[in-house]
Amino acid sequence: MIARGLLFVWIAVWMVLGFVWAPVVPVLGDTTRVLYFHIPAAWVTVLALAWSMIQSVLYLAKRRMEHDDHAAAAAELGILFCIVATISGSLWAKAMWGSYWNWDPRETSIFFLLLIYAAYLALRSAVDGEERRARLSAIYSAAAFVAVPFLMFIVPRIYDSLHPSPILPSPREKGSMDPRIRTVFLAMLVGFTALFWWLLSLRTRFARVERRRLDAAAAGA
Amino acid sequence: MSAALAGAVLCSLTLEAAGLAHRYGRRRGLDPLSFRVASPGVVALTGPNGSGKSTLLRIVAGLLRPTTGSLSVAFGGESVPAAARRLRVGFASPELAFYDELSAEENLTFAAEARGLPDPGAAAGAALERVGLAARARDLVPELSSGMQQRLRLAFAVLGAPPLLLLDEPGSHLDEEGCATVARVVDEQAEAGLVILATNDERETKLGTQRIELRRRGLGDPA
Amino acid sequence: MARSASSSAAAVWAILRKECRSEWRTRYGLNAALLFAITSLAGVSFAVGPLGDRTDILSGMLWVVLLFAALASLSHAFVREIEGHTLTLLRLVATPTAIGLGKLLFNLIFLAVIEAVTVPLFLLLMGGPPPKWGRFALVLILGSVALAAACTLVSAIIAQTRGRGALFAGASLPLLLPVLAAAVKGTRAQWQGGTVGAEASILIAYAAAVFGVSLLLYDHLWED
Repeated sequence: MIARGLLFVWIAVWMVLGFVWAPVVPVLGDTTRVLYFHIPAAWVTVLALAWSMIQSVLYLAKRRMEHDDHAAAAAELGILFCIVATISGSLWAKAMWGSYWNWDPRETSIFFLLLIYAAYLALRSAVDGEERRARLSAIYSAAAFVAVPFLMFIVPRIYDSLHPSPILPSPREKGSMDPRIRTVFLAMLVGFTALFWWLLSLRTRFARVERRRLDAAAAGA
Repeated sequence: MSAALAGAVLCSLTLEAAGLAHRYGRRRGLDPLSFRVASPGVVALTGPNGSGKSTLLRIVAGLLRPTTGSLSVAFGGESVPAAARRLRVGFASPELAFYDELSAEENLTFAAEARGLPDPGAAAGAALERVGLAARARDLVPELSSGMQQRLRLAFAVLGAPPLLLLDEPGSHLDEEGCATVARVVDEQAEAGLVILATNDERETKLGTQRIELRRRGLGDPA
Repeated sequence: MARSASSSAAAVWAILRKECRSEWRTRYGLNAALLFAITSLAGVSFAVGPLGDRTDILSGMLWVVLLFAALASLSHAFVREIEGHTLTLLRLVATPTAIGLGKLLFNLIFLAVIEAVTVPLFLLLMGGPPPKWGRFALVLILGSVALAAACTLVSAIIAQTRGRGALFAGASLPLLLPVLAAAVKGTRAQWQGGTVGAEASILIAYAAAVFGVSLLLYDHLWED
């Protein structure tokens, strides 16, 4: 209860501070603010995917449904954060470089992650049977795991050289910037991560309770 | 035929199940079951529809992973896990289907080759002989009547003379002669190997020397 | 057990021969796939027109057409087993890995046949410059192997879902994008006079990674 309230306060406070307290990065102007939620959202996207894939492998090894609950919940949350990251990134691109989508390496990577999430969730919705759904989606997740390093690092470089992109400032430059920016950024990173974990625990708890309810109903019948 | 069988079936077999159960989603497939059977012999597996006879046979064959419980199958004292067991048992059940574009002989030869049997063509021919299908060996599967397709399933089960034979309602679609064939095959197998026969047919039940009876609710006991 | 290695090889070989024989006797899979490949090629050619020297677009279009061909044809192998209810039989005579390998080899042959028709037709219709055959073939072969490896695994998963075909393209695509990117770049490079070493390495690495993970995953695919 208290932790939840604290979390909301934390994120709200730092969001406001990001606007009134931290300065702007000269080259980014007012769009600096997007750093505070676009990059944390992208970070959570990757974190969620990693967690989902790890839980998938654990399910295949241990065959406990809790792992599948985590894999599914992480994917559902991950795609939400991915959409937030994609849209915020796109709006930022429009403000900075005049067009919504450029297929530059970062945009390409996040789009690929979106595809993987979508495919995983679509697969889950198409399989009947709890055990089978868990097993098949875990297998797909493990297979996609192989593709991720290629999609995140190698493919965008290829696209980069196929479509030379404009010289752009790296969004990662915040590290060398004003410490106030760094503070807000890290605080938001922590906040988003905590938000993800909280939502994940809610979702998995719900799944577990639901399963117990159905088991009890079946046993009584 | 017994000589061919004896050559392959020299190891003893024991099956031991503890609390073996399976659920299909939330539906009960097989209620918790414990038993211990050993070769040689014939085990009749009986029970009303839906009590889990087919489920149990699939679990024993290694095709289905049970939701709870354990099953240990030992060939000659050595425990064989499900993945390897699949390739060493003879299994015949109503939903076993063959490749429609291949003939009876080609289906069996393929199966024998894939299983690594020494002379696949001969093994297929011998199996077809045993079930009385030799005359129709070259016919494509859809050209066979349902009774003959049932014999083909039996032929597949006895391919390579496996020590463990799992037969799910082997007499379905079969005429008098066919049922006699089943009885003969079961008797031959029972000399040195083990047969588990799931059936509701009185005649087939009588072939069994041991019995596992599944009841719709509650535990099944070896009789 | 020494027996298992050789009987696995025997199983793979038996499955491959069975697949080829089945396909040859029914041929509806091959016919449909060829028709689709040629039709999509015709569509692309009609829409884009002869490309002359635009080797960048040419390489992209080639791999789009091959991608379509792969997506149309490579799920057939497993869907046929499911629809014919023959998976039980297959599982009783071969290990899951052997099944996967056998189907993969069949898919490779299948894809090769489709490409043998589609690629020359593409070069003819799209009017590009003559390729550097050695490098072109290298990228084509490596790319096809990678495509087949990924598609075979995904089709084994998808065949067990509701509405089997529909999901195949969407589920395969994320796993095929690395192949697409590297293959397009490699094909473009050979047309523009460069080397294809980097792209070939990526394709080999990816194909090996997908193949390697498949070997681990096939055992879990069929348990009921």
